[in-house]
Amino acid sequence: MAQMETEVLIIGGGVLGAAVARELSRYKGDVILVEKEVDFGWGSTKTNMCIVCQGGDTLEFRSEYHRSKLVWDSMPLMEPLCQELDVPFKKVGELALIRNNEELAKFQKLKSRAEKIGIKTHEFIDQETLRRMEPHVTREGIGALYDPNIAIVDPVRLTIGLIENAGQNGVKVMRETEVVRISQDANQFKVETNRGSVKCRFIVNAAGTSVDKIARLVNSDDFVLYPIRGYVGILDKNLGGLIKHEIHMRPDAPGQTNILTPSVHGNLFFGTTMQPALRGDCSTTGRIAEIGLQNVRKIIPDLSEKEIIHSFAGFLMFRNWEVGWHECVVQASQKVPRFISICIGYPGVSAAPAAAREVTELLRQEGLKLETDERFSPFRKAPPVFNELPEEQQKELIAKDSRYGHVVCRCETVSEGEIVEAIRHGATTLDGIKFRTRAGMGRCQGGFCTPRVVKILARELGLSEEKITKKGRESRLLLYKSKDLLEAQI
Amino acid sequence: MKLSDIDVAVIGSGPAGMAAAIRAKEEGAEHVLILERQEQLGGLLHQCVHNGFGLFYFEQDLTGPEYGHRFAEKVKDLGIQVLLETMVTQISPDRQITAVNNREGILRLKPKSIVLAMGCRERSRGQLNVPGTRPAGIFTAGTAQRFVNVEGWIPGKKVVILGSGDIGMIMARRLTLEGAEVRAVAEILPYIGGLTRNEVQCLHDFHIPLLLEHTVTEIHGQQRLEAVTIAKVNKDKKPINGTEQMIECDTLLLSVGLIPENELSRMAGVETDPLTGGPVVDQWRETNVSGIFAGGNVVHVHDLVDDVSWEAEISGAWAARFARKEEMGKEKRIILKPGRNIRYIVPQTISAQHDVTLYARVKDMEENVTLKGGDIFAKSLRVVKPGEMLKIDLSHSQLRQLKDDAVELSIEGEKRRQNG
Amino acid sequence: MVEDKIICIGCPLGCRTTLRIGDRGEVVKVLGYKCKQGRQYVLEEYRNPVRIFTTTVLTENSSQPLVPVRTDRPLMKTKLREATLALVRVKVKPPVRVGEVILPNLLNSGVDVVATDDLFE
Repeated sequence: MAQMETEVLIIGGGVLGAAVARELSRYKGDVILVEKEVDFGWGSTKTNMCIVCQGGDTLEFRSEYHRSKLVWDSMPLMEPLCQELDVPFKKVGELALIRNNEELAKFQKLKSRAEKIGIKTHEFIDQETLRRMEPHVTREGIGALYDPNIAIVDPVRLTIGLIENAGQNGVKVMRETEVVRISQDANQFKVETNRGSVKCRFIVNAAGTSVDKIARLVNSDDFVLYPIRGYVGILDKNLGGLIKHEIHMRPDAPGQTNILTPSVHGNLFFGTTMQPALRGDCSTTGRIAEIGLQNVRKIIPDLSEKEIIHSFAGFLMFRNWEVGWHECVVQASQKVPRFISICIGYPGVSAAPAAAREVTELLRQEGLKLETDERFSPFRKAPPVFNELPEEQQKELIAKDSRYGHVVCRCETVSEGEIVEAIRHGATTLDGIKFRTRAGMGRCQGGFCTPRVVKILARELGLSEEKITKKGRESRLLLYKSKDLLEAQI
Repeated sequence: MKLSDIDVAVIGSGPAGMAAAIRAKEEGAEHVLILERQEQLGGLLHQCVHNGFGLFYFEQDLTGPEYGHRFAEKVKDLGIQVLLETMVTQISPDRQITAVNNREGILRLKPKSIVLAMGCRERSRGQLNVPGTRPAGIFTAGTAQRFVNVEGWIPGKKVVILGSGDIGMIMARRLTLEGAEVRAVAEILPYIGGLTRNEVQCLHDFHIPLLLEHTVTEIHGQQRLEAVTIAKVNKDKKPINGTEQMIECDTLLLSVGLIPENELSRMAGVETDPLTGGPVVDQWRETNVSGIFAGGNVVHVHDLVDDVSWEAEISGAWAARFARKEEMGKEKRIILKPGRNIRYIVPQTISAQHDVTLYARVKDMEENVTLKGGDIFAKSLRVVKPGEMLKIDLSHSQLRQLKDDAVELSIEGEKRRQNG
Repeated sequence: MVEDKIICIGCPLGCRTTLRIGDRGEVVKVLGYKCKQGRQYVLEEYRNPVRIFTTTVLTENSSQPLVPVRTDRPLMKTKLREATLALVRVKVKPPVRVGEVILPNLLNSGVDVVATDDLFE
């Protein structure tokens, strides 16, 4: 088993761990990031609704809320970050629908409070203007509150971009590596994983739904986290043009948000219905799905359930469930030196850029020497997305590598070239290909392309097809070779 | 290779595409081109190793590949141009085709007419919204069929199948013959979705339990499927509390519906019928976009491949005539209206001057009924089922009796079977 | 008196028929059919239940690991399992054309197993 040594160990390769890795890669010094899954962003990150800087944050901004400050500080950083990392970022703006005078009064209060602290981005619009901006939205209600600053991203692509840029700049990244035990003496930690041990001076605990579990490994559980499960539904791309902005309505029941948003890839996402659940139990239930649909029908009436192509549930970790949504964990441990925990239940993606900076500052306060690395490059080039390129570039790509001319996923027009490139960049599973290339995310949900993707994975990885998994570990797709079951019966 | 002056471009080379292309050539179209995304002609026929194909078209009981082979030979003999491993990515309303392959790169074609023959795709779990976890081991029946019959892999050895459409029942037999144990086929309706022949030869022959009025209510297993929960449903298709039972399995096959592939159709501005999911067509299988025709499962999902080919031939023939700028003979239009217990009718509009064959499906099973076409047509039928398409021949003399521009097709019955 | 239940597949009705079998195995009575063709079918199915057997067979071509096959004539229904096992160890060498016999006289039944698709090199 490997024995490694480093300055900083980051536990967790979701959007926060990745953002910290990237931030730290600006400086000299060794950093290792370990991720327990086979690919990055597969915890809370991938089940995000992709919205950056939600209006609720700026409206409900309170400088005494740590979370608010992180989101506010991140807002000017996100677009440049996405450009540097060559990942999608689209400013769509947000409309908070106002149904009646009571809601209007609430929003007016929030807006004036926001203005008092310098947030002047919102404006009220009437029903007529709303109708012009969004012809398909419900006619009921008196108008909306509009914030042009809200944007959408692809959280997994962002995470992968951060990880790759961190890697380019010297961070060592290890997947399928799970932390099992941590021991410590006066100067350092010894972290045991399933792949060997790591001696390190500093730990950044960014383990998502396992943040408290990891903290307990060093007896530093100075916070309590509650897992809350949210449900998200995806609507067919045919409906992609239905709305242009992220739209939401105030929830009619506690634990529900009612959001309908375009995604950067042209689908519509809706959700969420939140409920406390057993950690790691990402199963969806029929009742939750119904509620989600009922809610979003208040925004767009006549939405047919036939247009749902997929749905999923994901976890957010919250501090004080009873008190509300306002707190997060970005703190150095009170009990253990050089141990920083970070967990921002909501909105983790939006707060990531500023949160990474804050963690870096906390590390500095704990004694990490931050010396700028001249060789740092903030730029990372994403693998080409064939169907987004202008025709001239598509032709060039095919001329360079004819596999870009072999379309494997019909629904999302993904070529073999892109799949091979994703494998080169580290994808080893069907889901890995899905999140990196979108093959399998279209309306047929992998019906046509799965056998072909499996073949390509097997070929590129030099494995037999039966070794290929959906998401790593024991999730193999094909259990038996043809005639083997019969052989056993002869 | 010549890719200009194309008279008819056919998208898809399954039983529809090949039939359309052949017929177009026989109708005199000089340059007929087939665009196929897979590595060979035949579409899904290669993975349908079972028999039951061509009983009517060839009056023989053939397997899928054999049926396809006959057409593929004819395609070659007639000198029809074929582009394999070529994906059509766009069709514009003015009939410009953009396609991609790894030899010619990006192709821009402007044929005189187009036949859409892309077939259909399967409904997925995501669309069904079955609650539960997301383990490996869940496949649509068609994808599993590809693995089992072409790629050489058996997904698992303890199988549950949701849906008793033909493909589900066929796979029940197939997996049993490959050594797996099919523990149940669950069907939400009180009767099977496919042909009785398959119930007998796929399920009964192998003693595979058929659970009617049942559905899968939950999926279990984190990495790989471990079990499903099945429950009985009431007449509103909602699970009945207390009837749940867990069935241990490592594979779940979904055979829960087929939907015409209409991505390209929509791009071209083709109007689709929400009742079929496919394009609105007239009896010559022309869509609302001039020069774009459609035939086969892309228009509506058939039961028999023979009908797929016959229908596609209509589209091929008229696409050829359109390319020749021939008079289409479209006079007064009659609209077909689905009436009582009729789910859809194809074609959606017809002319009053010509004989026509209508295809229709019912919503619910009924026995001892009369199929009525307005005042001009009536036929008694012993039984009608959603899984068995109706074919109605109307002559132009019958059609001329119509007083309006519409005719309603309906089922008038005495005994109505309760559905789920 | 023994009973056998057979579903007629002649038409979508799928009549569930019952055959009463006498001591010498002869059909004494047929119940539940609605037409004479149906009655004929179930009698034939009782006396001589046969099926065209279709499956796949392994090949020596790794990029085309299977070739689909069929029996050229129907087999007794009871022989299907045996037929399956008899083909497990067959490995077909390319090239093979549609219709070519890959295993003659399956289980000594006089029925040949033929390829239903081409197998390339």
